[in-house]
Order: sequence, then structure tokens, then C-alpha cells
Amino acid sequence: MGLMKEGGLKPYLLILPLAFVLAFITYSMAETIYLSFFEVSYLNPFYKKFVGLGNYLWLFTHPSPTRPYILDWLTRSLIWVASSVSVKVLIGLGGALILNEEFKGRGIFRALTVAPWAIPWAMAAMMWAWVYNNQYGILDSILMHIDKYTGLFKALGIKLPLAFIGLPLPSFISCLIADIWAGVPFMTMVFLAGLQAIPQELYDAAMIDGASSFQKFRHVTLPQLSPIIMVASLFSIVWTFNSFDFIWILTQGGPLHATETLPIAIYNVAFRWLRVGGLGKGAALSVIQIAIVSTVIYFYMKLLRRG
Amino acid sequence: MKFKLVFTLLIAFLFLCSPLLVSAQRKVTIRVLMPLGGGYTKEAQMKLAQEFMKAYPQVEVKMEFVGWAELWDKIISSIASGSPPDVIYIGSRWIPALADMDAIIPLDKYITPEKYAMYPESVWNTVRYKGHIWGVVRAMSTKCLIYNAKILEKYGVTKIPETWDELLEAVKKCYHPEEGIYGFLIAGAKFVSTVSQFQNWLYANGGLIVDPKTGKALINNTAGVEALEFYAKLAKYAEPNPIQWRREDLIQLFKAGKAAFYVDHVFNLIKAIKAGIDADAAPIPRGPHAKQPTACVLITDSIAIPKLSKHKDWAWKFIAFMTDLEHQTEFDLALGFIPPMKAERKLLFFQRWWYRPYIYMIKYGVPEAAGIKDWEAVQDVICTAIQKVLLGQATAKEALDEAAAKINEIQGIKG
Repeated sequence: MGLMKEGGLKPYLLILPLAFVLAFITYSMAETIYLSFFEVSYLNPFYKKFVGLGNYLWLFTHPSPTRPYILDWLTRSLIWVASSVSVKVLIGLGGALILNEEFKGRGIFRALTVAPWAIPWAMAAMMWAWVYNNQYGILDSILMHIDKYTGLFKALGIKLPLAFIGLPLPSFISCLIADIWAGVPFMTMVFLAGLQAIPQELYDAAMIDGASSFQKFRHVTLPQLSPIIMVASLFSIVWTFNSFDFIWILTQGGPLHATETLPIAIYNVAFRWLRVGGLGKGAALSVIQIAIVSTVIYFYMKLLRRG
Repeated sequence: MKFKLVFTLLIAFLFLCSPLLVSAQRKVTIRVLMPLGGGYTKEAQMKLAQEFMKAYPQVEVKMEFVGWAELWDKIISSIASGSPPDVIYIGSRWIPALADMDAIIPLDKYITPEKYAMYPESVWNTVRYKGHIWGVVRAMSTKCLIYNAKILEKYGVTKIPETWDELLEAVKKCYHPEEGIYGFLIAGAKFVSTVSQFQNWLYANGGLIVDPKTGKALINNTAGVEALEFYAKLAKYAEPNPIQWRREDLIQLFKAGKAAFYVDHVFNLIKAIKAGIDADAAPIPRGPHAKQPTACVLITDSIAIPKLSKHKDWAWKFIAFMTDLEHQTEFDLALGFIPPMKAERKLLFFQRWWYRPYIYMIKYGVPEAAGIKDWEAVQDVICTAIQKVLLGQATAKEALDEAAAKINEIQGIKG
């Protein structure tokens, strides 16, 4: 009653767009969970057969030469997210610390940092495909030039050109690097904004106490920045978990499933494998992904509230 | 009084005529889904629609365009939504999946004997499934062995290979990586064209992916195993790490004069010639189990009618219009595709020397996905088998046995 008196309808009107978004998300999630209990043909909207937990069972029993696919997809996705997000945070933090210092041309470097975000991700992925090309790619060209003048790779017994996206493990790492490249600008900019908000007095006080640069970073910068690091990492975890463009364009999940993370698997199961897959199985896989991401978010939020 | 009577009669007359007037004005609208990219321009396809509307003023054609990469998704999402276009452009390899899902209709009743006689049997085979015809071929490609005559001459290859042994011998002779010259170019990336590259060798050895009648996997029989072994042998004399390469990108290496042989379609032969390479093409060499002098994968795109189309007869009229001799020829000449109609081959344009081997291959063409019920899933399985062998993680027999078991599972065949 008091609220109505104070703000009238205004607060409710303001919250309306958010309510729409929430309603849309809730509907999509409910529909996905609902579909996961059915065998659904993507091409025949009238065919829907209740299978209970059948789709989930299929995911965990579907044979692969060594073990169920889903364990491979999950393991790969977790490694993908953990390594990508941690490197993004480290590089982003380092970049923000450098860009926070006074130096000539700082403005240009700040603008360049956000450049990857100006390129559509599909185009950026194509660009990376050419960077990794072992005949015309710039990366192999640089390595071959280094080897020509230093003999470094020959001495190490490494045969050039390297197959960046031609072998299972290098492909995973190459996709990871491309994904990190795309995610670092966000981290850098958010951390930079956080650094600029730290009161100068704290650094002055630390200086009077005789703190070294590392001690200032350890006892002033990090504690002040940690809420921002937590929030930015949270966003990054969600985005990286859902990362699709770079992997799909660079390797389509190959070679030999080495880059097949959950989103790639969901796409394949739901939309490409019409007979062995299907919308129901794809929905079951999506539910598992939503559960994992939600759990991560829950613990992160809990950690965030603790301060 | 007289005025009132005349007025009443006039009103009554107009009232009675109004349904006729309305129906005369109401046009039938047909929606047509076409791809863009790969040479397919919006303008050319709009022109076709306009010509059709001029010939049939009672019909309005609404063209809908989508990029090639999104075509499959667009088709299935529009069918799933319950309101698909009346005419759809499809990769013929999708026919079994679409037909099994009751998403498209057989076109047998529309195809007249005259229309049937316009195409060779091998072309119809690409759109035939369970004894019915599900599409009319619009675009077609065959594959040939492209070679760089200068490299062959330089390394003493005097005869264009006709068998696998001859090819392997020639490839070995031309392999000089220290000079940046590879004997052959191999595609191994996780992509549809890697599978079609392998299919050329499979078919040239008399093999098949599945039995078109029973749907059972045949890929792991002797012909299949030999084909994959041969593919791996060629890879030893190819560019480094073929798993990084899609067939679509290999032309970059060939155009740069870095390879003696590779398999590709006519556009890339023309590209190589334009780039100054002394290139020519020959039929794909046959394997030890071949029953024919050569074979290749015959890839076609076709036009189909969704089951939920509300104007099937008009949809067919549009298909017949766009695939009549005049319009099909116009399309093939503009895009440089291998002509699917017999009559087109007589045109001077297709008599050019670089078209001849490709047209010769039509009669030896084997459909890309005959009897395969879920092409995308089967393609993934075969691609994995190829990659395993190229990476040395399995023998051809092991990889194809595993692939065959998975294909049978996809095809719904037990045991």
C-alpha cells in the first residue's frame, strides 16, 4: 500500500520489460524440460511420444568406443570453460593493469583492446582459420622464419608447419586460443573500470606504510577488485560454456570429436542427427547443460554474497 | 417506379457478380525457398519468378532467400512450424530423411514421360528413394581427376593414370615437398566434402556406403576398406596434415602450382586454368574391384514440394517452369554447372574441352546418399573413420567396421 502511494504505477511499469524477459526465459526453459521427456520428430510437429527418462538414459548409455558420449562432452566442456575463463581473467587483469598506467599512446592501446569485439564472431573465426592454416597461415609462417634464422624448432625436433587444427589436442588448444582472444577485451575493460574506481588514498596510505608494488597489488588492488573479478568471471563462465561459433567454424567439433563441447553436441543431436538424435534428446542434453551452468552460478553467487 | 426496378436489378446483378469479381482478382500466392551463395544470385531467381508471374498472371510468387549454410535449418524449421514454402530447394542427399518424415511428397504423378526422358537415369537415381521420385534436379556436379600437366612433364609422368596403381606411381614421382610440390591434395577436415572426396574412390572401386535396397552398411566390405587404404596411401604424398583441409580450399594450393593431382569439380579446373596453370581433367582412376572404367560421386540439388504446401499443383507448375529446357539451360550456362539434361550437352558451351570429361562422368555417377536415411549423421560417422585412418589411430578395416556398426544403428538395422 505504502509502495503504491510512494511510487504509484511507475515502478511496475519500469519492471515490465524485465517481466517480459523473465516470462520468455521461463517459458523456453519449461518447454525444453517438457520436450526432454518426449521423443519428438523435428520434421513432423504432430509426432510426440512420451518416453519418460528415456532420453536421459540414451545420453548416458549411447555407445562410444570407450564410454558414453555425454561423459566426453561434459569433461571437454569443463576443461574448456575452466582453462578459457582462467586465462581470460589473467590476461584481462594484466591488460587492465597496464592500461591503467600512464604512458604515451595509451588511448590507442585502449581502443585496440576492444577491436576484437568490433569484428563479428563468425568473421573472426574465419580469420583464425586462415591464421592457423598450415600452408598460408601467418602463425606457421612466423614459426618457419624463426626456425630458419635460429634453428630452434629443428633443435627441439619439432617438424614445421604445425597442424594447429589438424590434430586432436592442438585443435582443442587452437579453438581455446581463439575463444580467449574474443573474451579478453570484455575482461580488460571491466577490470580497467574497476581499477579506476579504487580510491587513490588507499594506494597513498599503502605507500606511507612502505608497501612494495606487489604488496600494493596484493593488499589493495586485488581485494578492491575481487567483486568485479567475480562478476566478470561469472558472465564469462556462462558465455564460454555456450561458446559455439569459433569451434563450429574452425573444426565443427573435430578432428575425432576433440573439440565437441556440449553446445556442439546439442546442435548435432537436436538438429543434425534426425534418426539417432532428435529434439527430445537435444532438449535432455540442454537441460543437463542448464543444470550445470545454474549450479555454477548458484555457488558463485553464494561466494559473491560472502564478500 | 421504373427507375426503382432498374436500380434494384442493377444492385442484384452486381451482388451476384461480386464473388466472380473477387475470385478473379484474388491471386494464388506460392512461396518459394531458394538458396543464396555459390553462384546463386537473388536477381537471377527473382527474374525467374517474374517470368512465371507474367506467364501465369493469376499467381503471385513470393521468393524467400536463405544462405546455403542455413538452408537445411530453414527447411526443417519451416516444416516443423506447419507452414513451409510451397517449393523448396534441397540438397538431394536430404531426400530420404525428408521423405521418411513425411515432409515432402513424391512427384511421380507430375512427371510426364517426356519430362522423364529429358534426363539420364543416373540423374534420376539421385532423387529416387523407395521407388519414388521426390525432386527435380536443378544443379549437378561430377568430379574428375584434375592434373597439372607441367608438373607431370617435369617429373616424367607420361601417361594419365587410369588405375589406382598407375595413379599412386605418378603421385610418388611428383611428390617433392622440398620444392613445395605435393603429389596429391587430400581433404580430411570434419566437413561434408571430405566424405564426398572419399566416396569418389569408394565408388571407383565398386563400393557403396549402404545397400540402396536394404539400407544395410556395405562400407566395410573389401571395396570400402581398399578405398580407405588407398585414400590414406595418397595422403602420404599429399600436403602436410590433410585434416586441416576442406576440399573447397584445396584449389588455393593447386592454383599456386603446388600439386600434381587432385579431385574436384569443373569450376575449380576453370579457376586453375584462369590462374595460368596448365591444367586438365581426366576420369577418376578405377580401383582393383571396379566393374566400370571409372566412377564418381554424383551430387545434385533438387526442387521438392513439402507435404504441407497448400498449392501443390501450382508448386509443380513453377517447378516445371524453372526446369524446362530453356530455363534450365539459362541457369546452367550462367552458373557453369554440369548440365543435367541430355539436350543441354549439345550446346557449344558444354562442348568446350574442360567440360567433356565431367559430362562423360555423368553416366558413371553414383548418387551421394542412395538409401541413406539420415545423411548428416552418417556423414559424421564416415568422416570420423577417415580421420582415424589419416591420423593413424585405426586401420581402414577397424575404422570402417566401427563406422558400419554405427551406420546400421542410424539406419535402424539390428545386428
